[in-house]
Amino acid sequence: MADTITFSQEISNLMYAAHGSPLNNCIQCGTCSGTCPAVEFMDQTPRRLIGMINADLKEDVLDANTSWVCASCYHCTVRCPAKIDIAGAMYAVKRYSIWNKTYSDDLVGPVFSETFMKTIVRSGRSYEPILAPTYIFGFGAKEFFQEVQGATKMMLKGRIPVLPSKIKRLKNFQSMIKHIIPMGEEE
Amino acid sequence: MDPRKRILIIDDDPDYVDGMKAILEKADYEVEAAYNPKDGFKALESKPYDLLLLDIMMGRGAEGVMVARKINKDPELRKIPVLIITGIREQMAFLFPGQPVHPRFLPTDELLEKPVDPNLLLEKVSALLKMAEEKEA
Repeated sequence: MADTITFSQEISNLMYAAHGSPLNNCIQCGTCSGTCPAVEFMDQTPRRLIGMINADLKEDVLDANTSWVCASCYHCTVRCPAKIDIAGAMYAVKRYSIWNKTYSDDLVGPVFSETFMKTIVRSGRSYEPILAPTYIFGFGAKEFFQEVQGATKMMLKGRIPVLPSKIKRLKNFQSMIKHIIPMGEEE
Repeated sequence: MDPRKRILIIDDDPDYVDGMKAILEKADYEVEAAYNPKDGFKALESKPYDLLLLDIMMGRGAEGVMVARKINKDPELRKIPVLIITGIREQMAFLFPGQPVHPRFLPTDELLEKPVDPNLLLEKVSALLKMAEEKEA
């Protein structure tokens, strides 16, 4: 029997096409954690998460909310002295947890990205009034009210469309997606 | 004596690879595995294989499709029969509810969906190998 692969190898397989260095090049300098704008909302800082992946602490990595809190601003990737694509690694952990269904049911992230994909495939554009319900009910009453108020203002000024808009030549776009994802009725 | 048939698995899920390997090795096939498309391609180019078992959802998304298309362009590699084994419906079904998976990107392929029944897997594998032999003869 061949040797089974470790969790860190699984993650690096998921990001083999990324342009950065491998995760075990990490020198644990903490530049990623220091530069991260979302770090205060994370259970584990990005530096620790990379250390945990390299140490094969699978359960702890998947329990941490770090990858889901990541705002994909790519500051860490740009500043990493070891040239690791850290934001890419966050996406790899997200993919791992979605494909293997290791996330908890009340997590907003997977539902949000699913709804986002659906609106894009259906109309070619994202539409906030459909996206918002995926996360808005997790808010407290005050935040909920603020969000609704803000959205109403934006709608009155025309910053959010009242009805979902569609792109031109939607059929071409959809057949392009069918070309990438081998699903759907054959023409 | 007929030498043992060599099968390559390209799949990023180690548990699944272990399972399929156990099934196929018990049926007296020689099985090797690659856990990402890049290693898989290297293996394909380094040695001749009789059959390829290919996963779809790898790396950044549906990268198995890219592997299949690349194989299709190579005049030598496209002779290898390909059995696509995918859980894509589970992962992407929300986009195309109730619609089938179509293996349209290769002329020499078959498609199975995860979870795979061991007997069905062995049946398809031997059928594909026989088909390839007949084509050669």
